[in-house]
This record gives sequence, structure tokens and C-alpha cells, in this order.
Amino acid sequence: MNIRSSLQAISSVAVKEFIHIYRDWRILVLVLILPPVFTLIFGHAFESTEASDVPALLEDRDHSPQSEQFVQELINGATFKWRLGKKISGQPDLLREHVQAALVIPEGWGASLKNGDPIALPLYLDGSNTNTVSELEGRIQEKLGEFQKKQLEAMVEGLPDNVIDLAKKLPVDVRNQFISAMSQWGLASEVLYNPAKRFIDYVVPGVIGVILQLLTVTLTACTIARERESGTLYQLMVTSLRRGEIVIGKILPYLAISILLILVVIVVAGWHFHVQFHDHFVLALICLLFLLCSLGLGLLISAFSRTQTQAIQLSVFFLLPVFVLSGAFAPLERLPLAIRYLSECFPLTHFCRAFRLVNLYRAGLTYYGMDLIYLFLGVVVTFVGAALLLKRIEQ
Amino acid sequence: MNEPIIILSALTKSYRDLQAVRDLSFQIDRGEIFGFLGANGAGKTTTMRMLCGLAHPTSGLATIDGADAWQQRYAVRSKFGYMAQRFSLYPDLTVLENLRFFAGAYRVPPNELGARIERLLGQMDLQAKRDAAAGSLSGGMRQLLALGCALVHQPPVLFLDEPTSGLDPVHRQQMWDLLYELSHNGITIFVTTHYMDEAERCTEVGFLHNGRLLAKASPRVLKGTFKAKLLELDAKPAMDALVRLREVPGILGVSLRSGSLRVYAPDAEDLLAGWQRHWPFPEIKLLGHRWAEPDMEDVFTAYSQGYGAMLDQEAIR
Repeated sequence: MNIRSSLQAISSVAVKEFIHIYRDWRILVLVLILPPVFTLIFGHAFESTEASDVPALLEDRDHSPQSEQFVQELINGATFKWRLGKKISGQPDLLREHVQAALVIPEGWGASLKNGDPIALPLYLDGSNTNTVSELEGRIQEKLGEFQKKQLEAMVEGLPDNVIDLAKKLPVDVRNQFISAMSQWGLASEVLYNPAKRFIDYVVPGVIGVILQLLTVTLTACTIARERESGTLYQLMVTSLRRGEIVIGKILPYLAISILLILVVIVVAGWHFHVQFHDHFVLALICLLFLLCSLGLGLLISAFSRTQTQAIQLSVFFLLPVFVLSGAFAPLERLPLAIRYLSECFPLTHFCRAFRLVNLYRAGLTYYGMDLIYLFLGVVVTFVGAALLLKRIEQ
Repeated sequence: MNEPIIILSALTKSYRDLQAVRDLSFQIDRGEIFGFLGANGAGKTTTMRMLCGLAHPTSGLATIDGADAWQQRYAVRSKFGYMAQRFSLYPDLTVLENLRFFAGAYRVPPNELGARIERLLGQMDLQAKRDAAAGSLSGGMRQLLALGCALVHQPPVLFLDEPTSGLDPVHRQQMWDLLYELSHNGITIFVTTHYMDEAERCTEVGFLHNGRLLAKASPRVLKGTFKAKLLELDAKPAMDALVRLREVPGILGVSLRSGSLRVYAPDAEDLLAGWQRHWPFPEIKLLGHRWAEPDMEDVFTAYSQGYGAMLDQEAIR
């Protein structure tokens, strides 16, 4: 058993496997079209993380100068697309009005501001979408704060001279404290790691990871299962091929295709979205480990299932939680702690984290080293598992 | 080179509570065409899988050309070609691509590959179809291609699991002509079948029943062990006669062959003499009788149904 004859045997399996892919044009089209289309869709879908043009209902029951001024302020904002309501009583019906929020300015609001006893504005929010509720509330609170500040400035401008004279008699430190209290206390915020706050920069590893995981796992899952289903596996096993040669020969074409896919996604992300990639060598290493992990997983599923249908079903059962819980599209920190432990089991989680640490944070090996180790362990476990399962078929 | 090429000794395979193959011991000499006969589920395929190193024996041993079929299964693989019962080539690959793949998988040296594939295409009469997808071939051509793929590494032994099942008579004949040719070139052929006319074509035949070997000898010798005379009756209506005769004491079995009834009985002459005095079934007309030469089907029926009283089994021990 020398290396040369082994290479010959592996290459004959790889060539055969390439022909299978090449002859099945449906798969080929899927493989070629899916990655760039996915990148474009995901890139544009989450381009802006801020809510905008949210349909909302506004009922001004007060019609005072203050309320009309506030309504004008609200309409000028970009977050909501306000519609002025006409029905002036009771709780608004969000569903019937096709809106996600409704703000009511009750009768006497303007007067209450003057009387020193401001009425709280009733705000109705559609809570079914838990992600946006607090954001929408915050936006209106913000508008209200701005309006309040303008009212305050106007009031200070319009103070009579004798009041100002009176104020000048106050001690300096008290006056300073008073001025400080009257002005808004600000933040000097600086956004690090993704200064443009572009979601595409964040989501690129997610897109690469999801596409690769989807294609490699399902395609490799089918390879051995297909041979078993058609009876060719026995024919394969009576040849001089060793198990390892079959596995490597089957993996190679998919590895080549997957590397091509990564390049396509990177080119689309670079040209269309101007995403920059740093530390190319490290990113390539992360991608390669993740790829091998996915291929190994596919093989494991393949060796485990009896038919192609089973292989596809198993892949879907595995991939579904991975897509949601791996942090490909949303930060893991939104998940409860127990679920986060589960997330740590998915190679996609480590891939996305390591990729972001390198490309967004420009972090050193000490930060993403553990993720690399996890991915490497994944490769070992899946390949050894697949080999053992194949051994079981043999007997 | 005179020692047997395939040796089975006490080969046994059990699946949980099912004993598929029981204590099988026999040998096959070089150049034989060995026909392995048995009903479906008798254990033929299981035995063949153990010989190919695809299943490991629960106990016992099989060797091919001196190498243990299980312990040295990787070394053994270059010594035999295997053609499975189901079509198990790649339907999306062309004839040529299938042959090339199996040549690569069997590590045929690249410099010999081209000439060998051309020769096989010629031998299998598939030159015109070289670029056709294997899946588009007719059943007969598929089997020929499968045979070609099993021969690509020039093995001394060929295992064929029901190579002619589902083939039309023309392709069956073509397949057997090829097998004779291969046998003539010194290849030992181990073939399972449940066609009894095919058993006649083998140089040696083994009967497997419920995982046990009932007999193994040449078809001529096996037929010679049939010591009782075989009575053939013409009766009308034949089906009624079949049912009634099966109940007669002294008759082990009755089968219908070309419209006549074959009576398996150790003392058929006595029965006939009795019937000539008095035919006990007034509703059935006895039209005539003759003595038949047993064929392989009769032999197989007798062995598998346990009609020991009709057989001289000592002759093949």
C-alpha cells in the first residue's frame, strides 16, 4: 500500500464524485447561484438596523398651541409614518388602523403643562414584535424630551427682566448648579470596531457560514447515503479502496466547491458592499477549519442515515437550530444563558465569533484561539465518528 | 496450484436469533463454475458476502486463494470480482466512466488501463455504448457492464449474485457464453441462481437450504443420487389430481410439469401397480403414465423438501 497508488485511488473517487455533481445540473445551479444571491439579499435586508417609516396613529384631542407644535415635531421625525386620527375617544384599535403605535394627546394637555401638572401622554404599542417595542417607545420619549427642551428655552427667553435681576442675586454656585440642571447632560460616544455601524460588516461571516453550512452539510450528507440507497456502497467496498480513501475522495470535490463559494461571497461583499477583509491568512484558516467541520458533519449524518431522504431530514433538523442560535445574524447576548451553552456546540457559532474577532475587532490570537481549538476538535470528532460508523456498515 | 481456491470451513453467520448460515464447509477447485442453489432466504447472499469480506462470520473461516476472507479482507479484494444482485453501478456515469472508476478503485496501473478497458468493451460488446449513461442501458447491457467492472482488475475468482435474474433468454445466453469463456481462461466462477436450467450449466452445484449445505457435486452425480423411479402421470382435471394425489400415503410430493404430474414417491412402481388394478378417484380421469428422467429441478426439490427416501445420499458423501 504505497502513497502513489493511494493517491490514484483517491483521485478516481474524487473524479467520480465531481461527475456526479456536474451531471446533476439542478444542484450545480443551486451551488452557483445561491451564494451571491444570498449575500445580496442578506446584505441589503439588514442594511439599516434602525426602524423607519413605522405606521402610527396620532390623535390630537387637545388642539392647543403646545399640542400642535408637538404634533409638528413628531411628523418631522423619520421613525414613524404618522397618520392623524379622527375618532376622538377610547383606546385606538391598532390592528384595524394598520398601525404599530398610537399616541393620544388628551384634552387639556397644553393647559396642564402651564399649570405645572403635566399629563402623561397615553401611548399604545403593538407588543407582538418584542424586538421593536422598546425602540419605538424610546423614540417617542426622545421626541418628547426634545420638545420639552425647546419649551424650556422659550420659557427662559421670555422671562421678565425682574425675574432675571432676582436670579442674579443668587449665589454663584447655586446659579451654576441651576444652569447645569437646566441643560441636557450629554454623552461623548465613540463607536469602536464597526464605526460606520454597517450591519453588512457584521453579518458577512454569518452569510458565509450559513451558506456553507447549508450546502456542504446537505450535499455531503447525501453522498454516502446515496451510495447505500442504490447499493453501490457494497460494490465500492469490495474494491481495493480503503475507507479513508473513500472519505477523502468524496470530500475533495466538495472542499474545492466550498472554497470557490467562499471566494464568491467575499468578492460580492467586497465589490458590492465595500466590506474590507483583514488578516487574510487567519481568515482563510478559520474558513478552512469551519469547512472541514461542516463536511465532517455531513459525512457523519451520511454514515448514520440509511437513505437520502433520511439524510436530508437529519440535516434540516440539525441546521434549523444552528441558524437561529449560532449568532450568525443576531448577537448571542440576546439569548438566555442556558441557550448560549447550546450555541457553543455549533461550529457556526465559533466560526462567526472568530471571523468577527479578526475582521471587525482586529483582535489577536489570544481572543479567538479557543474558537479555533473548538473548530479543530469538531473536525476530529466528526471525521472519526464518520469513519467509525462506516466501519459498522462494513460488518 | 492444485489446492482448492475457495475453502469454507464451519462458516456460520447469525443475526440475533436468526441463523442465516450454519456450519458451512466445502471447497471449490480452480477453474470450476460453481452453482450455488437455494430458495430465496436460504443464505446464498449472506454466504457470498462473507466470502467477499463484506460481512464477518459469526464463527468459522473462509479463505480465497489462501487468504482469510475476513481477517485479510483488503488483501483478498484484488483476488475476486463481485457482481451484486441489484444493479450497482453509477447510472449517471457513462459506460466508460464506470469502467475507469472501478479500474482506479482497483488500482489498475494507469499505463495498462486504456488497453484493458478497450478489451473489456470488446468482450462485453459495449463499444457502441461507451459514452451512454449506464442508467440508460437495457437490463442485459447493464449486467454486461457490471460484469466488465467486476473483471477490470483481472481477478482469479468471480462472485456473481444472480447475474441473470430479470434478463431475457437472449441476454441470459449471452451472459452464460461469456462465463464459459472466462472459465475457459482459468477464472473460477461462483454463481448463485435459482434457475434450475442454469444449474445444469455449472460444473459443480451446491444446494443450500435454511443455511445448511444439503449436497455438493456435479449435476450428473447429483442426478445419479436419485435412486427412486420418477413417475409422470397425465390426468384430467390436472389440478384436482394434484390435490388428491398429495394426500395419498406413500407419496411425498407432486408437482406439475408441462401439464403432467410428477409424483415423488420412494415406491412409485408399487403405487402404479395398485392404481392399474383400481384407480381410487372416480372423478379424475387417468389418461396415461410414463417414467421420467430426473432433472436438476427434481433433484433440488427432493433435497430441499427432504425426500431422503428417494435419494442415495451416501453416493456423494
